[in-house]
Amino acid sequence: MLAAPRRGTRAAGARVLVALAQFAAVSVIVFAMTSLLPGDAAEIVLGRDATPEQVATLRTQLGLDRPLPERFADWVGGLLHGDLGRSLVTGQPVAAEVGGRLGQTALLTGLALIMLVPLALGAGVLAGRRPGSPVDRALTGVLVAAQAVPEFALGLVLVAVFSLQLGWLPATAAGGAFTGAEVLVLPVVVLVTNHLGRLARQIRVGVLDTDRAEHVVHLRRLGLPERVVLWRHVLPGAALPSIQQLARIVDSMLGGVVVVEALFALPGVGSGFVDAVSARDLPVVQGYALLYAATTIGVNLVADLVSARLLPHREVLG
Amino acid sequence: MSAATVGARARRARPGAGVAIGLVLVAVPLLSALLGPFLVGPLGLVAPTGTDALLPPGSGFVLGTDALGRDVLGLALTGGTTVVGLTLGALACAYAVGMPLGLVLAATGRRGLEGLALRALDVLLVLPSLLVLLVLAATGRRGIGWLVLAVALVQLPSVVRLVRSAAAAPTQRPALEAMTMSGEPWWRVHLLESGRAVLGPVLVDAGTRAVLVLSLLASANFLGVGLAPDSTDWAVVIEQNTSSLFLAPASLLVPASLLVALCAGINLLVDRRLDRDGGAL
Amino acid sequence: MSSPVLRVRGLGARVPSAVLLDGVDLDLEPGRVLAVVGDSGAGKSTLAAALLGEAAAGVELCGEVTVAGTDLGPTDPEPVRRARRAGRIGLLPQHPGTALDPVRRVGRVLDELAALVHTGRDERRAAVDSALRTAGLGPEHARRFPHQLSGGQQQRAALALTLVTGPSVLVLDEPTTGLDPLTTAGVVANLAGLAAHGTAMVLLTHDLDTARALADDALVLERGRVVRRGPADDVLGPAPGPAPDPAPGDDRTPRLVATGLRVVTSAGTAILDGVDVRAAAGDVHAVIGPSGAGKTTLARALAGLVTPGAGTVVVDGVGLPPALDRRSAARRKAVQYVHQDARSSFLARRPVLEQVARPGVLLRGLPPGRARGEGSELLERLGVDAGTAARRPSGLSGGQLQRAALARAMLADPAVLVGDEVTSALDAGHRRELLAALDALRRDRGTTLVLISHDLSLVGSVADEVTVLGGGRVADHGRAGQVLGRLRAATAGPPVAATGRAPSA
Repeated sequence: MLAAPRRGTRAAGARVLVALAQFAAVSVIVFAMTSLLPGDAAEIVLGRDATPEQVATLRTQLGLDRPLPERFADWVGGLLHGDLGRSLVTGQPVAAEVGGRLGQTALLTGLALIMLVPLALGAGVLAGRRPGSPVDRALTGVLVAAQAVPEFALGLVLVAVFSLQLGWLPATAAGGAFTGAEVLVLPVVVLVTNHLGRLARQIRVGVLDTDRAEHVVHLRRLGLPERVVLWRHVLPGAALPSIQQLARIVDSMLGGVVVVEALFALPGVGSGFVDAVSARDLPVVQGYALLYAATTIGVNLVADLVSARLLPHREVLG
Repeated sequence: MSAATVGARARRARPGAGVAIGLVLVAVPLLSALLGPFLVGPLGLVAPTGTDALLPPGSGFVLGTDALGRDVLGLALTGGTTVVGLTLGALACAYAVGMPLGLVLAATGRRGLEGLALRALDVLLVLPSLLVLLVLAATGRRGIGWLVLAVALVQLPSVVRLVRSAAAAPTQRPALEAMTMSGEPWWRVHLLESGRAVLGPVLVDAGTRAVLVLSLLASANFLGVGLAPDSTDWAVVIEQNTSSLFLAPASLLVPASLLVALCAGINLLVDRRLDRDGGAL
Repeated sequence: MSSPVLRVRGLGARVPSAVLLDGVDLDLEPGRVLAVVGDSGAGKSTLAAALLGEAAAGVELCGEVTVAGTDLGPTDPEPVRRARRAGRIGLLPQHPGTALDPVRRVGRVLDELAALVHTGRDERRAAVDSALRTAGLGPEHARRFPHQLSGGQQQRAALALTLVTGPSVLVLDEPTTGLDPLTTAGVVANLAGLAAHGTAMVLLTHDLDTARALADDALVLERGRVVRRGPADDVLGPAPGPAPDPAPGDDRTPRLVATGLRVVTSAGTAILDGVDVRAAAGDVHAVIGPSGAGKTTLARALAGLVTPGAGTVVVDGVGLPPALDRRSAARRKAVQYVHQDARSSFLARRPVLEQVARPGVLLRGLPPGRARGEGSELLERLGVDAGTAARRPSGLSGGQLQRAALARAMLADPAVLVGDEVTSALDAGHRRELLAALDALRRDRGTTLVLISHDLSLVGSVADEVTVLGGGRVADHGRAGQVLGRLRAATAGPPVAATGRAPSA
């Protein structure tokens, strides 16, 4: 039995290595996509109207006059020191440009997650305990319909109802400054609505299965009160497998944040990313791309490690 | 009363309403996407150049005109073709590559090779889809070809994983083993029979995936990193009209509602299908 | 005579169309063991559930069950009954592994159950420790998750769950199913000890040896009715004597030689390790052992369905590639394997006969028409008529498919035929037909048969040689009579001695 934890530790170590390899691979992909351009990067960045002098200056600034391997080595070296170059638009270091917007986005995603998890658990348990009941049908019907609807379309419909018709909430945070918490209500609702269905549904199925599982039936048989059966056996059995699903949701929520921030004019990482893309600010685009990739890889890593710890029988990492 | 009987009763009672709602939600946007372009000309839904922008509904145009002086009803009818077409194209590419790859991986006896291939695909899996489209747009790679390719590529890992695990499902194995034992050739066992067996799960998966891809493509178009601005795609039109929400709400809300209906409808239909199959996810 | 701790009056169970259990009366005194025997379908499981006041969906219960003076009231609402059950009556389910919560440590669950009857923390801990000890586990097992326990330990953990509330009556549903003889002996000794401490038990089983070893009284259930009852010795009859040893066989050249087979899971555990099998032409070689011993893995390794990490399989002097995919038609023909689950080994969309005929076409080069003819003739001999065989698998019963699967393997005319529990879904008549067909095959064609089986009486009647597997290794091997004799000696002895039968009456 001593072998089990040791094997677990080794599997966890292997999983961390995989994550590092993934990050290395993604870095190479990002560098390749932003460096191996069809045509000259400087011309693409500046557009067709640029004078040859402007192009030449930018080429030097981007280091395009140097051979590719050298540029890659430089870029990796900078990456390891947290130096991703400077923005072509503002001249600020990329790290500062990106970092300055982190807080806003973290707040938005954090709020969405804090609402999402208890709501999904509640809805999933409610529906799963009484399958086929009106509550189950209404809940799953509405949640399923709402899931994965494009955030901007959903957002627009909500804005039309709550801002335009009812006038309860501000439509956007136009102007860039947070005027108050009410600015975040609609964006959070959009993000939660989009993902609630998937998570609640998985928890519902988990509750359904666990509720009929032989070990739960047996504990009832032995006289364990329903309260204990529900909280200590059905709920863990149903919810723990959803941890990895939650990681997927955080992934796609990060995509949703881009859209939501653009729609509601929130000054976060997502809208920064879009601005950098339209300005062709390649160093900043690289920075955002790496930040997104790192977050995704990290979230999945944590989810896998936590699942492996809490669901030792599943061989999550195997 | 046991859970099993409740479930059985629920399943019998269920199909009606959900399926009907789903069908209606899907039919309206899908029909407009398929037939719309052919209706716009005959019905005279193209506003002549120089038409005033932001005309209110009824002023010669059923739903008014948008910020660029185009007929909103005409835009709604033509705007679905691109996003639906792109979705189908991307899905077709993803499954065309992913099905054979998944089947071969499921069939290979070499664990090392299988693991390596899956790990390699996982690198693609960790790339957030929208990120790929954003970086492509930032580097000037735009257009239908890039969109389809990028979306298909991002979907590929999960398609391969799904096909592989469906083909390797324990319920399938004995029959395939018995076929091999009978002397059937490899391709017949592992490509034909396996392929037929995974068709059901693949179709259901395609339904779920269609919503994801649709949503992704629409988001990309809305952010201006997808189709070119001269397209009349629903999401592009919405993006062009964002500032006129208060002046001409129809120009945003009609295409937005069509998108929402399409996604919600597909979700509902796939969900009922899953329910009927007793499948969980 | 002490007063009964379990008193059952007129316990019945019915569905609208049938009566499953008809007015069962029981009286059980502390420390007494009552064996309930009967065929599958006689109502044993219904009775087990009904004693706890439970019933499957749509089943209506009536009658009364009283434990130590408390009416468990099968007709009362569920939460009420559940609270009354705690600490009075417990059930050890048939598959104890599934009765353990996979995501909780054993000790935590024991503690929750202990809280039903003990309030103080120290009392709970004492109850948990004592339950573990009585079940034959140490305190260190409390910290384990179920998957970290062996099969036997899981059985004991499930027993501990049942014991921790200190029930006066224990219902045991087939407690020895799927256990190897040694583990069975351990379980029996354990239960006997419990009875000696005053726990009354209702033992539902079709394993007569276990019933004889434990029970004081017995009753026979048939179609939901008690048809016989009385002292265990009278009802169950004496244990059969050892089978006579067949004459020792000659030393023919072996047809199948497998050496040093080793199969390792992806997690690194060896499920088969250094196993040798030698069998002569026309011999029947049985492989027996507890579930999880590696029997099926051995059979599948011979057939190339699992690729062994080490070892060789040689048939008629020719070595076979380890993986089936890499075996040529001639090599696939050499070893044919018949799956335990016959239904899933057929494609659902194609007629059964067509699938049965395929090996004839592909491996022996017969024209399709002739292969089908041979197939339907063979099926006829096994009791599956042509009309039935022309259907798709969904139109055939499990037993018919089992015979069809065997026919398919026979149509390849293999040198070695490996059968995994090939008689499990058959009644006595069809079993005879199938054994006759196998016997003809080995006599006429010199086919070597390797039979995986749980059924010791089958093994005793057909096998020439027996290999006993335990934990992935060969535990015993030799002529059938000798091996089975040794096995009986190992299992029958200690439990009977340990029970100290007939306590205070």
